[in-house]
Amino acid sequence: MANPLFSDREVSFQLYEVHGAGDLCQLPAFADHGRETFDLFLASARKIARDVLFPAYRPMDAEPPRLEGGRVRVHPAMKEIWPRLVELGMTNATRPSEVGGQELPVLVAMFAGGYLSAANGAATAYAGLTAGAAHLVEAFGSEEVRRTFHEPMISGRWSGTMALTEPHAGSSLADVRTTATPMPAGPGRYLLRGNKVFISGGDQDFTENIVHLALGRIEGAPAGIKGISLFAVPRLRPEDGRLVDNDCSSAGVFHKMGWRGIPSIALNFGERGDCVGWVVGTPHQGLGHMFQMMNEARLMVGMNGVATASAAYHESLEYARTRPQGRPLAARDPRTPQIPIVEHADVRRMLLKQKAIVEGGLSLLAECARLADLVRHGPEEDRERRRMLLDLLTPVGKSFPAEAGFVSNSLAVQIHGGYGYTAEYLPEAWLRDQKLNSIHEGTTGIQSLDLLGRKVVAGGGDALRALAAEFAAVEATNEERAGLRAALEKIAATTMELAQRGLAGDRDGMLAHSVDYLDAFSVLVISWQWAKMAAAARRGLERDRASADFYRGKIAAARWFFANELPRVSTLCDICLTDASFVEARPEWF
Amino acid sequence: MKILTTVKRVEDYESKIKVRPDQTWIVTEGVNYRANPFDEIAVEEALRLRDANMPSEVVVVSVGPAAAATEIRSGLAMGADRGILVKHDAFVDSDGVARLLQKVIEQEKPDLVLMGKQAVDVDDNVAGQLVAEYLGWGQATFASKKESLESPEEKAKKPGLKLSADKKSVQAAREVDGGLEVLEVQLPAIVTVDLRLNVPRYASLPNIMKAKKKPIQELTPQGLSVDVTPKVKVLKVEPPPARTAGIKVPDVATLVQKLHAEAKVI
Ligand SMILES: Cc1cc2nc3c(=O)[nH]c(=O)nc-3n(C[C@H](O)[C@H](O)[C@H](O)COP(=O)(O)OP(=O)(O)OC[C@H]3O[C@@H](n4cnc5c(N)ncnc54)[C@H](O)[C@@H]3O)c2cc1C
Repeated sequence: MANPLFSDREVSFQLYEVHGAGDLCQLPAFADHGRETFDLFLASARKIARDVLFPAYRPMDAEPPRLEGGRVRVHPAMKEIWPRLVELGMTNATRPSEVGGQELPVLVAMFAGGYLSAANGAATAYAGLTAGAAHLVEAFGSEEVRRTFHEPMISGRWSGTMALTEPHAGSSLADVRTTATPMPAGPGRYLLRGNKVFISGGDQDFTENIVHLALGRIEGAPAGIKGISLFAVPRLRPEDGRLVDNDCSSAGVFHKMGWRGIPSIALNFGERGDCVGWVVGTPHQGLGHMFQMMNEARLMVGMNGVATASAAYHESLEYARTRPQGRPLAARDPRTPQIPIVEHADVRRMLLKQKAIVEGGLSLLAECARLADLVRHGPEEDRERRRMLLDLLTPVGKSFPAEAGFVSNSLAVQIHGGYGYTAEYLPEAWLRDQKLNSIHEGTTGIQSLDLLGRKVVAGGGDALRALAAEFAAVEATNEERAGLRAALEKIAATTMELAQRGLAGDRDGMLAHSVDYLDAFSVLVISWQWAKMAAAARRGLERDRASADFYRGKIAAARWFFANELPRVSTLCDICLTDASFVEARPEWF
Repeated sequence: MKILTTVKRVEDYESKIKVRPDQTWIVTEGVNYRANPFDEIAVEEALRLRDANMPSEVVVVSVGPAAAATEIRSGLAMGADRGILVKHDAFVDSDGVARLLQKVIEQEKPDLVLMGKQAVDVDDNVAGQLVAEYLGWGQATFASKKESLESPEEKAKKPGLKLSADKKSVQAAREVDGGLEVLEVQLPAIVTVDLRLNVPRYASLPNIMKAKKKPIQELTPQGLSVDVTPKVKVLKVEPPPARTAGIKVPDVATLVQKLHAEAKVI
């Protein structure tokens, strides 16, 4: 059977039985939508994913982009793929009709993006970056900036990128050095000079033009993040009705272990002193503006993590059902036929763990997407609370799929045995792809600092209280409820203790174990998602016996997560408070 | 020009199909449905002909349960103008479908009817031919594109069927052993389409939103005065034989010997 990338049954379960996609249509903003439009859109997305993107995945991985005569050539398959992604609506679907969009809930767009990402994450990323760049221009651009850049990007004639990273400024964006000198020609235009690295889609040959949404510093700006501005820097700039070279040069393409369908390039602005950038939004507040795109991109990265794990999960599931090897523990007679490996308990352990990670991660992304919809269009009085929850969950939505997804992708290789280690099979490629998700858009370390240093302590613990209220609303079993409550209390107490250390000036004591804290917090949050899904599965079992196997599988995965993962919360919390081994270890001891 | 196309709701070939224990049919609970892929090609061809011959109209017709409106809607989301659902919950055999379509066609009076050459659920490949027979119209079956699906013509979304300048006839190429046969039929006519006629478009979100507002008219077999009592009875449904385990042979000679003596394929 062909790899479905995501199970369609799973997608409809999460959308309609767990995350209330149908109810969203009661909100005035989504009144034009209904299950019918959602399903048609998802059907189109999954068809494009399966028929167009997935067949191009291996060829694009095998033939990465090349730099030739100063320009980057990407795999020719992108010339076919790009128009399909644009027509489907991936550059603008969730935006309002005034700006050419269809006001599709983020929740539904996220699942459509999931199919596409699972089929070919690199190809999908071009559209995600363009959508994010166009949204930045729409939200913060002056009339001139919007007129110049918005329509060309959403119509797919031009693509967009995010150009933040510099050789000496990766995690630490405060150190960005690209300079911007005001031009006499017109307000809002600057001459840019600087070097960017790792810019995804920073050059390619399937659109007429490329717009970099770049961070830089206006001359005389204060040091640090308060002096960073955002610019739209096109590869070709419009001048007297023509497009002329804008002095953005591709200095090299990185040779990467994964994501080989999209180039990451070193990009130089203004080598000849002729690179014009249009300031987007308020000067010196560029990083704040950029966070709109970064927060969207973090959820997209999370979705890519889920999708990359999902494709590999389905591949290993099919393999496990068809690969005969060995006999049942009790039957050692070599004359009996071998059994498919799915009959071995240990293989089912690996499959159930993958399922728990993939579907738990998917549910968290759905939760985040629904919050994003409600923050924008839900009842006024709940928006602040939901915004706080979304902020709290975003670092988890970014990093859990990346970290646990890597484990899951590794299990997919494992299930394939020796064949999984060869390039004849796909799981090795997905394992390579998955690794990036714990690095770009803020490493796992940076996400953990964001969670513990900022998000959980925000509003004196209001976010954590809002989360507790969400837990209480789940129709969990007594056992699940007790498990969730104990873990939440443990995390709350640990947070309190760590925050007190911070207040007392002991930043290391508070933050050194931030990644372990993030791990514990992620387990708690995913357990909550599994409790929600198990509750929906119990309801489903009563209503729809034909789907009994599906619902039993759900309940089994929930049991696995509660039995195998939730107990780790307590140990991790203790470690956060007690272990100082590496805090005290000196660099010269290694 | 008015073009009528048909769309059947069929089991998605990606879903796992199981035979019912009593072997009377397949298990339908939990199965996903989709539009018959051949019919999507028919809709695509209709849209291309329409757009090249404005003003024209494309009507999508389905015979099936209320849920088949979903497949009509997917045709509308590709760009068709309106839909007709002949609603009937029970099994209708190909003859019943053909007689229903005959009535719908007599009411609608299209210039051209495009149908998939067969539906992927039961693979009968008779409905189009029967409709032509009942209407007394000409027919061209298994229409393909003369050029390949990688050709510039296909990339430019050109129709594979060639309408004559006076719009009184249409030419269809069909694949036959070792080559192509080109037929010309007088309009109105029935043309059934093969896989290599075009690559159907994917519904875009803007078109999905527009499709929501397009009308779907509902008819019934009673209203059309057609008796759809099946003339064909399904006696038994069996799953294909389970794949047997493979064997390893020590060398090529043994392989050749086994292929010859046991498998009898060479
Ligand atoms: C394939 C690929 C695509 C990319 N695409 C883009 C793009 O399109 N646009 C763009 O702007 N950037 C892009 N990036 C850059 C990416 O966002 C950065 O690589 C990332 O933010 C990390 O920065 P760095 O590589 O400089 O690593 P560093 O910041 O040097 O980090 C190295 C290690 O140190 C840790 N570390 C750093 N600072 C701290 C701290 N304060 N506390 C604790 N630990 C710390 C990190 O967690 C990490 O483990 C891409 C990168 C890759 C590999």
